[in-house]
Amino acid sequence: MAADPKMKFLVVDDFSTMRRIVRNLLKELGFTNVDEAEDGAIALQKLQAGGFEFVVTDWNMPNMDGLTLLQSIRATPHLKHLPVLMITAEAKKENIIAAAQSGASGYIVKPFTAGTLSEKLNKIFEKMGQA
Amino acid sequence: MSDFAGMEDLLQDFLQEASDLLSDVDNKLVELEKMPDDRALLNDIFRGFHTVKGGAGFLNAAELVTLCHLTENLFDRLRNGELELTAGLMDVIMDATKGVREMFGELGQMVQPQPADPGVIAALKGVLSGDAAAAAAKAAEVPPAVADTPKTPGPVPGEPDWNLLHAAVTGAAAPVTSDPAVVITKAETAMVESVVTPVVVAPEGAGAASPFGRRAVDKPGGQPVSARRVEERVRENTIRVDTSRLDQVLNLSGEIGLTKNRLTSLRADILAGKSDSETLHALDQAVSQLDLLVSDLQNSVMKTRMQPIGRLFQKYPRIARDLARQLGKDVELVLAGEETEVDKTMIEDLADPLIHLIRNAVDHGVEMPEERLAAGKPVKSLVRLEARQEGDHIVLIIADDGKGMNAERIRAKAIEKGLISEEDANTLDERQSLNLIFLPGFSLKAQISDVSGRGVGMDVVKTNIQKLNGSIEIRSEPGKGSVFIISLPLTLAILPVLLVLLGDQPFALPLSLVREILPIEQSKVQEVGGRETLVVRGEVLPVITLARLLGWPLERYPEYGVFMQTAERSFILAVDSFAGRDDAVIKSLEDFRPKGVAGVTTLSNGQIVLILDMKELLADLGQHAEVGSGKRALDFA
Repeated sequence: MAADPKMKFLVVDDFSTMRRIVRNLLKELGFTNVDEAEDGAIALQKLQAGGFEFVVTDWNMPNMDGLTLLQSIRATPHLKHLPVLMITAEAKKENIIAAAQSGASGYIVKPFTAGTLSEKLNKIFEKMGQA
Repeated sequence: MSDFAGMEDLLQDFLQEASDLLSDVDNKLVELEKMPDDRALLNDIFRGFHTVKGGAGFLNAAELVTLCHLTENLFDRLRNGELELTAGLMDVIMDATKGVREMFGELGQMVQPQPADPGVIAALKGVLSGDAAAAAAKAAEVPPAVADTPKTPGPVPGEPDWNLLHAAVTGAAAPVTSDPAVVITKAETAMVESVVTPVVVAPEGAGAASPFGRRAVDKPGGQPVSARRVEERVRENTIRVDTSRLDQVLNLSGEIGLTKNRLTSLRADILAGKSDSETLHALDQAVSQLDLLVSDLQNSVMKTRMQPIGRLFQKYPRIARDLARQLGKDVELVLAGEETEVDKTMIEDLADPLIHLIRNAVDHGVEMPEERLAAGKPVKSLVRLEARQEGDHIVLIIADDGKGMNAERIRAKAIEKGLISEEDANTLDERQSLNLIFLPGFSLKAQISDVSGRGVGMDVVKTNIQKLNGSIEIRSEPGKGSVFIISLPLTLAILPVLLVLLGDQPFALPLSLVREILPIEQSKVQEVGGRETLVVRGEVLPVITLARLLGWPLERYPEYGVFMQTAERSFILAVDSFAGRDDAVIKSLEDFRPKGVAGVTTLSNGQIVLILDMKELLADLGQHAEVGSGKRALDFA
């Protein structure tokens, strides 16, 4: 499925440099409609307001971490369909399992390239297309 | 060629953000020593290293990733209660943090960091593996991460195949099982498979060209050391500004544009001969509005340069802590007023003097624990670093609760070092005696420790503060402690001046030096020791006429005195009259700089006025009129 370049992303990370990196990588892939949030709590507020179609979130953040954000999204009726791509620095299996069990759409390990990101996104788009 | 071609912006952003983060970690480490079991602190520190690691990965800074990774693992164990924080462990952590900071320094010079001190890495690994052996049950999952990552920092070449794993966990395609161990085994198998048959290895095309991507050929740390260029670290020349402040600047410049349009149209009307009261009224209104807008704009632009001094302060608790530990003292640096905003240039120039004063307080001010106990004081000493705004000044206070300074001892030391004569010393009161420590070459310590023996003395502190148009003052009470008070102007761009007249000629004096203005009655001027003096509220002050300072003929006796206070002395500058005060925008005279002139400014009527550099003028006076040599000048400090 060809993704809509106007698709609205929310990039969640407490480290602004990292948000910029992700934003740049998304831009490279043709996605320019990107908003940012500093932690899970802020992200959830923005998501509640509506309009977002894709969430890319870091795991380790103050206030509300990425896993809790994911769980909150899945527990919210009008948000639970949102694709959520988790980013972490670790390829630890317990992390991956926790993410999968909470309903993450994908998992990506830092550092990654636009190529890797694109691949992950496409897999998610494919799945969404099937659904 | 730098190691970061094409990534300079990213690197700058990373360094700025990560440095702030590391300073924060430093402070939290100091707090952690007090509360070693605080989970929130442990979590925050863990996250700090974790975040730095994540960013460093994108910069291909393998060595930084390794160091952060090990430290992060250590904190993971600490927060899970698998390790206990001991003093020895704290030292390892502090060394690791120092290593991270050093790597930031290398990154700042655009080179990939060298590997961390092998001792630090070995210590970290030792702590981690020693524990792994003890906690054998948990060892199975931790050691691989510890052992692997240093070799392959950054991405694991082939990460687990998400689909397989997802299937294994959710049981969508895999056989459903109720035993979690089996699930994990499945997951593990999936991971192994994906490593064996890598899904994504080298990103092609766009991936390889990505400015942030890991380029397979560009192995960090792979180049020979000799190929690296050691560049002079450039002074940080970017600034972070709150967008709302920038918006304000934008808004005001827009308003000014509108007002300019209004004036242009009025000019056309007036040139066409229109001069009715309505036109003139409109002109008056437009000009007043412009006046208001321009001063608002100046303020807003100035505000974009203002930074909270907390950014500077946050480095100090760690420095104080390290030093105190080294000296065997128990010191806590308490910060206050971190939100006080100061001009960015000033923050940079304050860094060294403040470090010196803090080191001084810890080294000289605070007593050894035994002494404190003997004096009936708590063992832990508090050093306070405080900033606040007072009117148009910023006041910085460094206070300790140590033994205070002994004026008698300082005098004796200064005489011994030949800095002042005995006769001079005897005329000094307590406050003046304390000021002796600002003389070049003064040191109270018999032997110079590596703390105070860095070639930077209190004289340099004072000179640096004065360069910022500031002043420094000491108060001390034996047995109770010492306080250093630094007073600084809000900004260096605008200098509030007092305009004085000599005949018809105006001169500008920095208002920061002016204490008060008083009339001079010639009959009250007394000659003491060949100098003209005036008694102001019991204080004998020398009277210096501006005419004489400038070498002008004294036509009539000046009627007014300006009570001025520089860092070295107080005196009364006698002038003919005043023309008011003004906020001068200093224009320096670049190629031509007459002695005693700091620069020029333009008055509202277009007249150019010289801004006097009192220090230079007085130094001149010292030579010619024998009012006092540099040392004797302390008489009226």
